[in-house]
Amino acid sequence: MSFTTMLATMSVGMLRTVGIFLLTLLGSLPLGMIIMFGRKSRLTIVSGAMKILISVIRGTPLMLQLLVWYFGPYYLFGWSIKGYRYTAIIIGFVVNYACYFAEIYRGGIEAMDKGQYEAAEILGYTKSQTFFRIILPQVIKTILPSVTNEVITLVKDTSLAFTLAYQEVFSLAKQISASETSFTPFVVAGVFYFAANYVVAFIMDRIEKSMGYYS
Amino acid sequence: MILEMKNIVKHFEDCKVLHDISLGVDSGEVVSIIGRSGSGKSTLLRCATFLEKIDGGSIAYKGDTVAHTPEGAKTVYAGKKEMARVRNCFGLVFQNFNLFPHYSVLKNIMDAPVNVQKRDPASVEAEAMKLLDKMGLADKASAYPFQLSGGQKQRVAIARALALNPDILFFDEPTSALDPELTQEVLKIIRQLADEKMTMVIVTHEMNFAKAVSNRVIFMDGGYIVEEGTPAEVFDDPKQERTKRFLQNYD
Amino acid sequence: MKKTVCLLLALTMMLSLAACGAPAASTEKRVFKHGFDLDYPPYSYINEDGSMGGFDVELAQAVCEHLGWEYQAVPFNWDAKDAELNAGSCDCIWSGFTINGREDDYTWTKPYSDNTQMILVKNDSGIKTLADLAGKNVGVQTATSAYDLLNDEEGQKALCDTFAGLEVYETYTIAFNDLKAGAIDAIAIDVTSGNYLISSEDGYGFLDEVLGSEQYAIGFRKGDTELRDTVEKALDDLVADGTYAKIGEKYPEIKDYLCLGK
Repeated sequence: MSFTTMLATMSVGMLRTVGIFLLTLLGSLPLGMIIMFGRKSRLTIVSGAMKILISVIRGTPLMLQLLVWYFGPYYLFGWSIKGYRYTAIIIGFVVNYACYFAEIYRGGIEAMDKGQYEAAEILGYTKSQTFFRIILPQVIKTILPSVTNEVITLVKDTSLAFTLAYQEVFSLAKQISASETSFTPFVVAGVFYFAANYVVAFIMDRIEKSMGYYS
Repeated sequence: MILEMKNIVKHFEDCKVLHDISLGVDSGEVVSIIGRSGSGKSTLLRCATFLEKIDGGSIAYKGDTVAHTPEGAKTVYAGKKEMARVRNCFGLVFQNFNLFPHYSVLKNIMDAPVNVQKRDPASVEAEAMKLLDKMGLADKASAYPFQLSGGQKQRVAIARALALNPDILFFDEPTSALDPELTQEVLKIIRQLADEKMTMVIVTHEMNFAKAVSNRVIFMDGGYIVEEGTPAEVFDDPKQERTKRFLQNYD
Repeated sequence: MKKTVCLLLALTMMLSLAACGAPAASTEKRVFKHGFDLDYPPYSYINEDGSMGGFDVELAQAVCEHLGWEYQAVPFNWDAKDAELNAGSCDCIWSGFTINGREDDYTWTKPYSDNTQMILVKNDSGIKTLADLAGKNVGVQTATSAYDLLNDEEGQKALCDTFAGLEVYETYTIAFNDLKAGAIDAIAIDVTSGNYLISSEDGYGFLDEVLGSEQYAIGFRKGDTELRDTVEKALDDLVADGTYAKIGEKYPEIKDYLCLGK
């Protein structure tokens, strides 16, 4: 296999990696917010359920979760899982990352000064106005570094999709490396991941800077 | 009468912090509440502004009772809508300012009138600029809170409260977090508001200021109102032993 | 200053590594480091009690016993087999390791097992011939001979192109789960591994048509003929004394394919 063929094959894999990455972010950032609200809910059933969900998701390997999401419907209900592979991968990633984001959000919200809520209450803001106008913008600023960390981990975690036979860039690197008895594919994969994370870090840095107008 | 609090009782856990307190404030009146830390004066203010719920007694604004306690039962507050309407009657200036750090000075002042009271942004902005001018901060409209001194922040906070056109303004130790030289610029503004007949209730440790600005002074201790009267009565001729001792410590 | 410290550290580490690599005293037993894929039944796998097992593992242990060597298991990720061998963490790759196509890459023993790649399907799937696979989804494990065969222009690439899709798995265990669940229609697999997969399941079988055939042997580092010769000689002895056949009896899936001494 020539270097250019290998590069072309692995680029396709990288596109798949980026696909998982983007869909996971798109799903998990808002879902994390919902889980966080559930976790802070005054209904003990809801907050208890979310607490259990978070501890299960954080306490088990993502690889195992992917297997359960994919094969679960078949083994539990006998449903056909034909064509469900990619959906299972995205569900697995989204739920996993949403739980981590939920805890980051919660940390950020609980670190907020009580005075901000009181000022908003006195000024007559409704609960949702208080959250979206006053609290959330400040929370985003404080949690941004932790979110960046999580996002960078996600780029690397995408390789776990191979557990469900999805050929993203790292599994392709392994296959090509094995059949060509060469280490080059791993180096290429490494460069791809690094480049992707460089872009992520750059964007997150921009966002952080855009919020740096106050302290 | 703008505010009428009757027989207010407040507990924190098992600790009773307000014992049967009654306080009425007429339009145009300036009432100062003095007393040592932990005497319940801030709690009284927080009860009046609904930041704390009372455990007994009643609260009425402009004749509308919004909280009352039926015989042998828990205190009942009015519905959400009624509470929102009544909240419009008062403003509160905090000890720690509690400005919104992500908003500019102008936006801090304008945001609530525009988004809560749904007023026209252009006229709100004109009014906000007038208020800033009055506070001596017209040049700080586009600054952010972190760029201001404590005294400037507190003046912005006062402007923010005034922008909603409240009938009564509460101050919770407005100068306690400020250096002495910054205290004066804030007191000057409050004095100016008193001259304009703004109805105000001020919890303060500034005795000379309280004496100069108030129509009425209330001395609280241990959750009770110990003495109440004109500044001349309370400061120059206190009747109660506890008041005398407290004032002596301040000389 | 920092640089000096780093250099010193690096030097110390190199020295200690060198010390580890020094030849063991002659009185000690020679250690034979058996490199294998820990999830490649029935040749090598983890037993239910957590110990390692499989035909290759047992045979390698028998070789060590015969030679008076100390056996050391080096289970690894199959993708990393070359890195492991070249780095010296194992002496050989001995794990259902196919010679065909790799003839020049390693120093090989003579083959000890035949193997064929076949198509595993559900009996009621209606798939009877290789041609029936057109438009079907087929699964295969990464870095196996079946995978290579399906991607080789001179192998079965043409057949592979008729599939609706080729799903590449990390292990056959997951591929088989997918077959059971109906997410794929067939699995391309070594017959021995396939026999093992379906040994406890009813309703599965192979197509009569064979995908390809090949032979298994033990691969040593290129040029390591001395070690190869010693092991090969020991294997001959084990064939002669019946141990080879005895171990083979324990693995019904492969006993028909063992080819030493035939």
